[in-house]
Amino acid sequence: MIQQQGKKVGLPLMNLVRLNRTPILKQLHLEEKLLRKSSTNWCIINDGTDTPAIVMGISGKPSELLEIGSVLRDQVPVIKRFTGGGTVVVDKGTVFVTLICNKDDVPGVQPYPRSIMSWSGLLYNQVFKGIADFQLRENDYVFGNRKFGGNAQSITKNRWIHHTSFLWDYAEGNMAFLKQPARAPEYRMERGHTEFICRMNEYLPRTDFIEKTTEAVETYFSVKNVNLEATEEPCGAEFVPSTRLLSKQELEEALGPQPEIIGVSV
Amino acid sequence: MMISRRIWQKRPPTSSWIFLRPYTSQIAVPSPSPSLFPVQTPSLIGFLSSYAASSFRSVYKISSLEMPTMVSRCCYSNHALADLPASGIVDVPLAQTGEGIAECELLKWFVKEGDEIEEFQPLCAVQSDKATIEITSRYKGKVAQLLHAPGNIVKVGETLLKLVVGDSAVPTSSSDVLESVKPPGSENSPDSKLNKDTVGGVLATPAVRNLAKLYGINLNDVDGTGKDGRVLKEDVLKYAVQKGAADGPSAASVSADCREQLLGEEETYPQTFAEVKWYPDDKTVPLRGFQRTMVKTMSMAAKIPHFHYVEEINCDALVKLKASFQNNNSDPNIKHTFLPSLIKSLSMAMSKYPFMNSCFNEESLEVILKGSHNIGIAMATQHGLAVPNIKNVQSLSILEITKELSRLQQLAKDNELNPADNSGGTITLSNIGAIGGKFGAPLLNLPEVAIIAMGRIEKVPRLSDDGNVYPSSIMTVNIGADHRVLDGATVAKFCNEWKQLIENPELLLLQMR
Repeated sequence: MIQQQGKKVGLPLMNLVRLNRTPILKQLHLEEKLLRKSSTNWCIINDGTDTPAIVMGISGKPSELLEIGSVLRDQVPVIKRFTGGGTVVVDKGTVFVTLICNKDDVPGVQPYPRSIMSWSGLLYNQVFKGIADFQLRENDYVFGNRKFGGNAQSITKNRWIHHTSFLWDYAEGNMAFLKQPARAPEYRMERGHTEFICRMNEYLPRTDFIEKTTEAVETYFSVKNVNLEATEEPCGAEFVPSTRLLSKQELEEALGPQPEIIGVSV
Repeated sequence: MMISRRIWQKRPPTSSWIFLRPYTSQIAVPSPSPSLFPVQTPSLIGFLSSYAASSFRSVYKISSLEMPTMVSRCCYSNHALADLPASGIVDVPLAQTGEGIAECELLKWFVKEGDEIEEFQPLCAVQSDKATIEITSRYKGKVAQLLHAPGNIVKVGETLLKLVVGDSAVPTSSSDVLESVKPPGSENSPDSKLNKDTVGGVLATPAVRNLAKLYGINLNDVDGTGKDGRVLKEDVLKYAVQKGAADGPSAASVSADCREQLLGEEETYPQTFAEVKWYPDDKTVPLRGFQRTMVKTMSMAAKIPHFHYVEEINCDALVKLKASFQNNNSDPNIKHTFLPSLIKSLSMAMSKYPFMNSCFNEESLEVILKGSHNIGIAMATQHGLAVPNIKNVQSLSILEITKELSRLQQLAKDNELNPADNSGGTITLSNIGAIGGKFGAPLLNLPEVAIIAMGRIEKVPRLSDDGNVYPSSIMTVNIGADHRVLDGATVAKFCNEWKQLIENPELLLLQMR
């Protein structure tokens, strides 16, 4: 016990914030602020988001990634986040886990995408040990060859963020908003969304996943549970995030000109 | 040590490279940020030397794909110094990010040309696959030139920007090269000319560089009057004038008058600008695809004796009908518009006036009354005018027409209409009003005998029977007809029938089967 505590004492501090159904836009704003303005390590776990939304990477192009007609018709919010990576549809069935670290607080992990990704694979290996055939495959978390978690990162001078959206559950219909991406991991092998992804709820209870994730993080950090108010403290002055909601006009422009049926305008 | 020396020998002699410390899970080595290292410092060399061959070897064993590249690009202090360009400008390339990725997208610059930067200051953000990465500067200096714009794809190893490296950044152990390098801005010293020659890259924006190039002027010869000796547009223009004057009277391209103009008047372009084309050239565009077809079809159509019949249609009921369709629509894939209702009522009217849905055989002087109502819809696409038709409208419901219209619209947009979609039409609708205009005088789409151009639905004031003014949605239509087959009376009666069905859509129910 003493040895364990002693071990923990030597570990860098990490603040853990637990959220529930926090809107994903708000979560991303918070994460970006903490990455850029805070000097503490943070772990954010958001158990689902309030309404379905589409979240694209920083350089995502709606015309290439989305079925814009359907998105506009259903008025699904489209967000462009500050990290790289691909496009996801998130809703109440998505569990978000984010790690924001000082590069020097994670020994053996270099501030490069692959190094961080590999380390995260080790962490989640602990979570799913004995439960499922978990692997980090290219940049995705998979059970077997089916993806259940997508990752994205941002690396700054002294810190990095690695965040994951876990498919606890998802609505099939929502996947129809996404086109087959032009850039896809090799192991996807041209599979459509429903053949490529799987639900975590088939493997372990939701609360178990969150608990085990917290335990795994505790092997690397001395974790302290804090509430949302604590995130206000370190940052002080007003921060302007780059994560944003795309406007209807932007999406319509991305849709491109429809053939003017020299068709009755509606 | 042996390995280190071999590496040094392999170093390319030209621009300085980035050293990106290799990542490894086995050796915890204090790491710098992903930054750009134009040169190596002696201290790092010392560190590497003392690190011992075994660990050095093991570092390079672990990393697989990236390492050979990095090894060949590593530079260590001695060779780096010897290769430091005499000008003091260093090329800063995009480093390998450790993923084995060959290129990154430049997202954003944090600095601009002329900015003084500190060691480890963020220069830009790039994206490689899953990650956005901030690139920091290894050195203190000044940004001489940004070589890429946000959105560009930059290959690993390609130069991102040029830095003027200050004195403090340059190791002092080398001699002759360094003494001639002075910080830019000391233009009043006797060494100022040497400064420019030595520094090489003069401070100037890309636009000014282009202008100098246009004039055939070496920027190094121009005295910059901007901050820190920056060469401005006026400096180049002034130099151009002076150069023209110095070259003597035979340089007719630059006259005294022109010099005055150059230095401040509105007409600032000397005759040397005659090299620059101010009058646009003609452009030849060969017609292809739909446009080519249009040449043929319209030439033939123009030979047909047309007449045109114009009528106004009250669309109040149509507007309500569409609203009702939309409000009761449960299918998100369907978008209700006016057109399907107009198409269906057109078909109903044609059932009563079959000559409107016919084609004419000139040779045999026969009119073929077509059984199917294949109603063509003119579509302006980026590829040209397409007229796909909806087959057998007489058998379709308004909902089915809506879906088929949407299908054809998508195909037209993607230029994937097949010949079957484009052929077999029996009458054409052209709603030019969607783009603009009250009504048009359309030309027939042969071999059809009628075409209908619809203007936009406009809200206009109308007078009621009791003299009150009320708003009404009015659409003007112009029916173009082949006067060899159709006469005015037939077209007028047909139009009346169609108008009645549009203005009183409930009448469609009477004929519904």
